[in-house]
Amino acid sequence: MQRRTALTAMLAATAATLTGCATSGGGSSSDDTDANGTVHLKFQSLAFADTTVAQTKKAVKDWNAKHPKVQIQLIQGSWDNVHDQLVTQLAGGTAPDIIHDENADIIGFGQQGYFADLKPYVSSALRGNVADGVWNSLTVDGKLIAVPTLQQTYVVFANTTALGKAGVSVPTGKSLSWDDFRAMAKKLTGKGSHGVGWGLKQPAATVLNLSANFGGTWFHTSGDDASLTVGTAEMQVPRRIHAMAYDDKSIDPTSLTQSGGDVLPGFYAGKYAMMVAGSYVAQQIQEQAPKGFRWAVLPPLAGTSSAQPASSQTLSVSKATKHVKEAAQFIDYFVADANLAKLAQSDWLIPATASARTAVREQTGGKDGWDQILTSGENLVDAPFLHVKNYPQWKDQIATPSLQRYLANDIAASKLADQLTSGWKQVGGGH
Amino acid sequence: MTSRRLTPGRALSYLALAGYVVLLGFPLVWLLSTSFKTPRELASLSPSLLPEEFSLTNFRAAIEQQDLLRAGANSLIVAGCTTVLVVLVSVPASYALARFRSRLRGVAMGWILVSQVFPIILIVVPLFLILKQFGLIDSLAGLVLVDLVWSLPFALWMLQGYVAKIPAELEEAAATDGASRLRTLTRIVFPLLLPGIAATSMFAFVLSWNEFFFALVLIQDPQLNTLPLALARFVGQEGQVQLGPLAAGSLLSMIPSLVFFALMQRRLTSGLLAGAVKG
Repeated sequence: MQRRTALTAMLAATAATLTGCATSGGGSSSDDTDANGTVHLKFQSLAFADTTVAQTKKAVKDWNAKHPKVQIQLIQGSWDNVHDQLVTQLAGGTAPDIIHDENADIIGFGQQGYFADLKPYVSSALRGNVADGVWNSLTVDGKLIAVPTLQQTYVVFANTTALGKAGVSVPTGKSLSWDDFRAMAKKLTGKGSHGVGWGLKQPAATVLNLSANFGGTWFHTSGDDASLTVGTAEMQVPRRIHAMAYDDKSIDPTSLTQSGGDVLPGFYAGKYAMMVAGSYVAQQIQEQAPKGFRWAVLPPLAGTSSAQPASSQTLSVSKATKHVKEAAQFIDYFVADANLAKLAQSDWLIPATASARTAVREQTGGKDGWDQILTSGENLVDAPFLHVKNYPQWKDQIATPSLQRYLANDIAASKLADQLTSGWKQVGGGH
Repeated sequence: MTSRRLTPGRALSYLALAGYVVLLGFPLVWLLSTSFKTPRELASLSPSLLPEEFSLTNFRAAIEQQDLLRAGANSLIVAGCTTVLVVLVSVPASYALARFRSRLRGVAMGWILVSQVFPIILIVVPLFLILKQFGLIDSLAGLVLVDLVWSLPFALWMLQGYVAKIPAELEEAAATDGASRLRTLTRIVFPLLLPGIAATSMFAFVLSWNEFFFALVLIQDPQLNTLPLALARFVGQEGQVQLGPLAAGSLLSMIPSLVFFALMQRRLTSGLLAGAVKG
């Protein structure tokens, strides 16, 4: 009898809990207008740093206070899994109305028609405030699938104390040539320390982006087709990194298998005099570095130019929403200088708008590496690979492991080129 | 009475066991140590096994940044409901699978095996569309349902093995004594099956407690976040990670699982003994 009572109680509790669960959720809808006519939009943000999360929350709160008829609900997403999440949610028609992602990830979704065309909603002021190359990188089949917010570049961080001890002056100017960088790294190598620590655990994005320094395009697109070229220009960056690691020994080869963050303790401890990483690493250095640690961001690396592909964080609007206009208005508010400049400083990333970059330069006085970081964002170009349909698959399944093997000195440069080319066919390249 | 003399073979066994325990225990010790370290110590090039200075900053940060307590409560609801439902469904179903010999049984067992082969990404979109039809997107009930479906095949497979090991003669004897089938099940089979139920519920609980992907795609409302979702937000782009808060959050998130294991472990042992006597 007791057992039966217990079983009944357990069933009742389960049913009650499930009922409670069911009523607590609502499910997403493409038309979330309540009885008062207030539009409710979901905005999934991928803000990571505490300061950026706080700034994003503030921007949403301010918007909600000023726009009682269009209320934004902030959803915190995760960079690590956003692609798989969006694949499912967009296919299921329940993605958030406003979606934060990056341009390398959203092109595929844009090609499948999941995003609203924002071209009619972007003001002429905003249009002129962002470089054409950046707009082009977000345009698919003539439709603008996203508005850029912040941009990342790869920069060289230097321990200025180590440079001083080695008698190497901190470079100034608009750019630092790869040859000068290599020469500096050689001078800074010795007595158990290396000139450079470079976290290249996921090397594909870094290598492809920096290849633009030498005019390396990797892909040529024609309509829906894309062909891959692995030529001299494309191989410049991997060859140079390899030579520095294994011929000069000025890059610590063990650092090449680590993530960007893993290299930081060695950088603080003087094991590496320089490190190459995304500009956002400046924030971690600022927060974590030991007291008295003196650092600088060096001028952008340059081959034939300092160009890097526009690597932008973006805001898109799901095509499933019935409130594209309201969503676009929120985006316009979100990328206004007052917000964007603060967000950029929270994340140590470059604002996509020229006016916000000016605001950051004024607000920071160019200190703490800001001058060079902002300079590195002046040569952003639209890279073909951003528009190639099978690029993400090739990058993850072919380029990343092949480059990892090359940078681990497991295969020769010619073998790397072969693997990259044959791998492109393997993933159904261009189709 | 057998001799407990320490032979070289026995010593080697103990050594291997000790090595295994250290291997298993080290990540836990490291997690514990990391969660109490200050951010500066975490950024040190020569990390120490024990923190030089014990700090609760990471725990505070973890709880405040990601609302871990609410996420923990949500995870507890989902894992608890899933476990109860898995047991309720799998006990009778596994009994039927183990005892009723028919062609359907072979098909069912085959299907259970095949269902384990599908990659998660293959089923998630159709599943998502079905749940949407029932208004179960962005609700803990939907998540419980998905976790139930996901756990059930293995739970059935596992439990039917336990049922199969209970001698059918015991049930026949009970029937001869005039016991109804329900009485036989509740008084004879169920007590002997307790270790299996305990093991299955532990499996279901852990699977649901740690489940990440379904929660990621189903849950949007921040109030309904589960623990794995909250913890994932300590990881950023290109290897960026808030190591201290992540370690602290992970440590806190282990506590309910450990408590559940401790409770179930006792059931597992008592059930085994009960089975031994009755068998």
